[in-house]
Amino acid sequence: MHPDLDPQRSGLARLLRELPESAAAPYGYREFEQRALARAHQEHGHAGGRRLAVAAVLFLAALAVLLRLNGTPHTAPHGLGAAEVRGAPGLDPEDAPAPSAGTAERWLASLPSEPAMVRVGTRAAVMGLEDRIAQVDDLLTATGDAGSAPERLRALQQERSRLVGTLVQVRYAQTLANASP
Amino acid sequence: MSRLVEIAVSGELLARARAGEAAARQALYVALAPATHALIRRLVGQRALAEDLFQDTMMTFYERLPQFRQEAPVGAWLRQIAVSRCLMYLRSPWKRARLCLEPVDCGVAAEVAALITPGYSGELIDLERALASLAPTARAIVWMYEVEGYSHQEIAHAFGRSVSFSKSQLARAHLRLRTWLQPQEHPPSCTLI
Repeated sequence: MHPDLDPQRSGLARLLRELPESAAAPYGYREFEQRALARAHQEHGHAGGRRLAVAAVLFLAALAVLLRLNGTPHTAPHGLGAAEVRGAPGLDPEDAPAPSAGTAERWLASLPSEPAMVRVGTRAAVMGLEDRIAQVDDLLTATGDAGSAPERLRALQQERSRLVGTLVQVRYAQTLANASP
Repeated sequence: MSRLVEIAVSGELLARARAGEAAARQALYVALAPATHALIRRLVGQRALAEDLFQDTMMTFYERLPQFRQEAPVGAWLRQIAVSRCLMYLRSPWKRARLCLEPVDCGVAAEVAALITPGYSGELIDLERALASLAPTARAIVWMYEVEGYSHQEIAHAFGRSVSFSKSQLARAHLRLRTWLQPQEHPPSCTLI
């Protein structure tokens, strides 16, 4: 039913419109400006807080990576130079890194080796991870040359994939942090 | 018609305020702020919350004033900002969660008492009490439809709901308001609908 055709309803609407309104604003213009200024300061503080939160996340990520690296036994042989890992003898096609690992490495290669903004926490983590990957590469080459057991090769490949994955996460976090205002 | 929509502001004052003249901005505040606050208070009920949303609305108003093209009265434009701010609050998940956690009681009495002035008749006091007993969404819909002149389509659009949602909320709210206003021995409790 149309409201105007319902006497009870139109009476209610009339009463609602008759309700008196408060004649004053809750506070004056000066107070309004002061509150606006305070709010602007507050929002500025929130922006600073966001930057701080990003830095804290990065720091925690770096700390986690460092702790993880320190927990892994250091088994790199000395006296072995860097060698080409791909095509190392003794590697079964099944042991090849997963396709995502290749993508991750291409993405890593596309990043500048020296980021524009250097963060001490992540810098140490990235260097540590890159060192570990190089050591595993050496081990893989040496193991392949010596014709060792495929289980060891597989374990090394898995370790390398894990390290590359971690490196991707750290570099990605670094990229996000650099992009944030 | 809303009192905010009816407020006349000269084009010259608006132009000066748009140019950033402090005195013109203050004059605009004096002209528009009371009706803006009254509308927000009607839509959300609570005084402290209304002050917060009022501040937010007026800040947005001054921020966007340079873009105002005077295609509609400035009061109508400001009303749109205020209603949008209030509905954003009423629709927010945080607000809904708070409503679920808050105990339903007659705590609205203090808010009603703050609204009532010596000029109120007994009938209007009852109406204030009845309005305060409605759930925030139902109260906002009643006010938007009956006083601000919004259509069901406009309300549905503003709430992001269907037209039948607006119609059913309004019908239920009317029923409840009538129950409150009818003379009886035991008035209904403050249960939200």
